[in-house]
Amino acid sequence: MSGAPESPDLLESALAAFTGRVRERVGHEAETDELFEWFEQLRRTAGAIGVRERSGEIDDFGMDREYIREAAPILDLLRTRWWRIAVGGTDAIPPEGPVLFVANRSGLLPWDGLMLADEVARRRDGDRPRFLIADWLITLPWVQPSLARLGGVRACRENALRLLQTGRSVIAFPEGAKGATKVYRERYRVQRFGRGGVVRLAADLGVPLVPVAIVGAEEANPILFKVERAVRPFGIPFVPVTPTFPWLGPLGLLPLPAHWRIAFGEPIDPARFGVDAASDEIAVARLNEELRRQIQQQLRVLLRERPNAFG
Amino acid sequence: MPGVIAITGLRTFLGRRLARRLAAGGRPRIVGIDHVRPHGLPSEIDCHRIDLMAPDAGETLAECFRKESVETVVHLAFRQEPSADLEADHELDAIGSMHVLHAAAAAGVGRVVVESSTRCYGPRPDNPNFLTEQHPLRGHPDDHAMQDRIEVERLLTAWQSRHPDIAVTVLRPCWMLGPEAAHPVARYLARSVVPMLMGYDPLIQLVHEDDVLAVFEQAARMPHPGTFNVVAPGVVPLSVLLRSAGKRVLPVPHPFLHRLREFPSQTLTGDPPAGFYDYLRYLWVADGTRGWAEFGRPLYDTRETWAAFVGARRLRSMP
Repeated sequence: MSGAPESPDLLESALAAFTGRVRERVGHEAETDELFEWFEQLRRTAGAIGVRERSGEIDDFGMDREYIREAAPILDLLRTRWWRIAVGGTDAIPPEGPVLFVANRSGLLPWDGLMLADEVARRRDGDRPRFLIADWLITLPWVQPSLARLGGVRACRENALRLLQTGRSVIAFPEGAKGATKVYRERYRVQRFGRGGVVRLAADLGVPLVPVAIVGAEEANPILFKVERAVRPFGIPFVPVTPTFPWLGPLGLLPLPAHWRIAFGEPIDPARFGVDAASDEIAVARLNEELRRQIQQQLRVLLRERPNAFG
Repeated sequence: MPGVIAITGLRTFLGRRLARRLAAGGRPRIVGIDHVRPHGLPSEIDCHRIDLMAPDAGETLAECFRKESVETVVHLAFRQEPSADLEADHELDAIGSMHVLHAAAAAGVGRVVVESSTRCYGPRPDNPNFLTEQHPLRGHPDDHAMQDRIEVERLLTAWQSRHPDIAVTVLRPCWMLGPEAAHPVARYLARSVVPMLMGYDPLIQLVHEDDVLAVFEQAARMPHPGTFNVVAPGVVPLSVLLRSAGKRVLPVPHPFLHRLREFPSQTLTGDPPAGFYDYLRYLWVADGTRGWAEFGRPLYDTRETWAAFVGARRLRSMP
């Protein structure tokens, strides 16, 4: 496996940035005072047990530009060294205006949404689309605040509508929980696309739909099988069993370094398919299925191109 | 000639200030209703001593409304502080409101303005980021005050369909802060060390007391039928609010805080009830667009409201 994090330059720059910030806070006089610096770091760590100190650059959906800037070295590391993401079809991304990206979903944690948002932001001058996340992630401590800061928004029509209406792009995963919780042997089989909500939304607002196929996230978070019956009485819908979880404890939640490929499809104008705000359910369902078919097709192409998931 | 305005719950924070504001604006006659006359009110404000918890309160009120030929009823008589006696709270909030509505219909008043709250939506993980007025009121199972308020709103809807000629305004402010606001949440946020739920940091929305009063004054003077969220623009994460005021944050794991639910001293110390902590856990931010279109943009946004609150507290604590 050549994909281990063997990037001293990136890691180092991330560390240097952190130390620089600590020094800044401590003040230049105390720079040599190691003990003081140590205390300062301890204080920060203690403060971070609850939530990290946050900047004031927060928008109405809680996305924090400062936090994203700080996380950039880690995101870069994941992109270039860990998952070695190759991106295709970037010319198809509309250069401006709100866009509704529609992608296939995999893995319990929304790594796919996060990385896709990052890839789009890099190609649209930092105009970062918001990725929609499942309800149950909202209930998780630490996960929820950090996802919100990175641009995650709860998946519901009201939120997507408001974001698109205010000129912000959205990444939707119409498979929803069915995509996130499918087991490894069903990988890359795109599930039903909800009830056509994305198509309806795009048609109502006249926003282009961009289908996106993501390969790699399935291998990054493989679910071998689900323990369902044994845990139901405890109010847990299921416990995923992966090659590393629950065997390695929380460490097993870390994603595996699989090869990722992302392909953007040509934007679809719902009106061109004869679907507008007044369309009937059958027309919406037809375009919805067309969208799903395109992504499934693209996934097959990407899988053929990629020789080995981990090589 | 504007009609007479009756304010129930004259002794409440909003009641007292609203009466003074309306009286300062001149013209309409103000009639206050509470079971005790508050101190320091201008003499032109009449106070009728009526106990809304009395079984015959509806009749007494109707008599009073008729005698004063009341045009508008502003209903603010709700429990301000959490008490150990949930029965009595329910009696005042839900049954008292019923009496007020029945009396208003019997006396043939033209308009009714009722105070509600965005807390009625309830802090829920499946809330959209901005709750509009159409969103169902789901409340919080432990927030009894809001359960009663939801009942009032339900009662109001049913009552409205029986009396379509009466214009009803429902105003739902969010957490109201400012130099003077005094309620459990204000006391909680005024501490120097504020407990927060470990691992949660919801976006918080506030509204300035002056902006709330201005909206109530408009609704009392002129007809503005409908339901409106009364909120300030902008949201700020709780941790940013607290740290910007130089407060310390005490992260507490939430299973532990929820254990405190039955802790009796809470009602004695005037702390917010345990269900309160879910308001620091999940989103319950309301969309104010509709209210701003009707009543105009508020003077203070969430940050400025917070600054006004913190600044006034700091000045007051100076020696």
